[in-house]
Amino acid sequence: MECEEIKQLIEVKNVTIEGGKQNLRNVSFNVCLGEDVVFFGAEDSGIDYICPLLAHALEDYSGEVLYKEQHIKHMDFVEVHNFRKIFGYVQRGYALISNMTVYENIALPLRYHTDLSEKEIHELVDSLIVYLHLSHCRDLRPIMLTQSEMLRTAFARAIALDPDMLLIEHPLEGQCLWNAQIFLQALQNRAFAPNKTVIVVTYQPLVYIDIATRFIMLHEGSIVFDGTKEEFQTFQNEYVKQFVDVLPYGPMTLR
Amino acid sequence: MVQIIKKNIFIIVQKVDGIIKGIADFNAYMKAIVRSFRSLRYLKIRSLYTIAVNQTRFTGIDALPLVSWIALLLGATVIIQATTNFPKYGIESFIGNLLVIIIARELGPLVTALIVVARSGSAIAAEIATQTQNREILSLELMGIDTRMYIILPRIVASFAAIFTLIIIFDVIAFFGGYLIALTSVYIPMGTFTQTLLDAFTFNDLLVTITKSIIYGVLIPLICCYYGLKPKSSFEIPIFVSKAVIRTLLIIFIINAVISVLFYF
Repeated sequence: MECEEIKQLIEVKNVTIEGGKQNLRNVSFNVCLGEDVVFFGAEDSGIDYICPLLAHALEDYSGEVLYKEQHIKHMDFVEVHNFRKIFGYVQRGYALISNMTVYENIALPLRYHTDLSEKEIHELVDSLIVYLHLSHCRDLRPIMLTQSEMLRTAFARAIALDPDMLLIEHPLEGQCLWNAQIFLQALQNRAFAPNKTVIVVTYQPLVYIDIATRFIMLHEGSIVFDGTKEEFQTFQNEYVKQFVDVLPYGPMTLR
Repeated sequence: MVQIIKKNIFIIVQKVDGIIKGIADFNAYMKAIVRSFRSLRYLKIRSLYTIAVNQTRFTGIDALPLVSWIALLLGATVIIQATTNFPKYGIESFIGNLLVIIIARELGPLVTALIVVARSGSAIAAEIATQTQNREILSLELMGIDTRMYIILPRIVASFAAIFTLIIIFDVIAFFGGYLIALTSVYIPMGTFTQTLLDAFTFNDLLVTITKSIIYGVLIPLICCYYGLKPKSSFEIPIFVSKAVIRTLLIIFIINAVISVLFYF
């Protein structure tokens, strides 16, 4: 897909990663500012490389990854430090800091990266806590939280700096969908906000049908589908059809 | 026979290779920390405040009862031995010197460091290893937080402050607490005891205490963080925590000997 040049946010060119349980093979795509993309595919499809690749958490790959036309692979120490301030990242399993409370987890990036006063941080964090219905567990540590509270805390921490791009890995893994509604609503609000990009990696693409504008499916390290929400919903692509309908027969083989 | 020799040589070569690789790896870790100093300009002290305060509390204040008891018992042992045995050899006038040599120069810093390694060093290694396994360290990195500065720097500051204070407290309790216990078996006038100590104390002793505090304060968190960052799976956590404690202890004994040689030989 092509973006207006000025709005191009991420461009991945011919990226190949080999050696692990998953691979990426000559993968290319771009993401525009304001676009909301869902990457999906089976366990060994290579989707788990997408967020680390875009976040400069991987170095051992061939090909190019550009953020606003800057090669992220060639960034030096300070550039990487600054680059990571401009996106939010919700990791698989959420990775909340275990010796910090919900409040402290959300305040962490604000305390580290901004010059806001403690009072301003307090107001900002409290507004996020109220927005994501976390008031009852404000002073609890992650061990005391439910899965959905952990997810919402991780989400609040990721958007605390109001980044242009949000990377989210398997957010609904182990989640009760009923409890995850608050998160999904907040994610939709984020996705619909102007010039905010959301990239989700998941095994459950249908959950994001009202949030994403574009769906990309990977199989064995290659992109086998890249289309709009409307194209995705037709299920004409045989890979998409087999994955979404959980069919044993089709172009993919169960391992 | 030849095969046994070959096997032993092979084992020795493997050990030496392991040590060389370990030193190279630690060297790379140190270089990475030095490189991280570039991010100091982005570092907000307030984000480190909680870690530094918690670490100081755990390493210093929480260790105070244990350090006090050990200081009291060791002080009493040394003082009782000195006051009962020195007169037999007619060297009772050297009691103060002996106390300064044994307690202030050697036992105070060494025993304090051992307690800190056993309590805080193992805790640091285990905490960081668990955080690494839970991907919390990665999470900090992905937030643009320089983990080396964020994790190691406040712990070094806290360890130095705690160790320095604990050594002073150890010495004071060992001298005067030990003196009080010793009073139950031998009588020494308080004024004589204090004067003997003051006469024996030199500026060099204070310098050694500060030097050891700085070196131990830096090395204990540095080595324990290094091993805390090592485990690749939760299975390896106890292995590396054990390595952190044992190797830090070994290095502390070596450094203690080196400092004593440098200052007093």
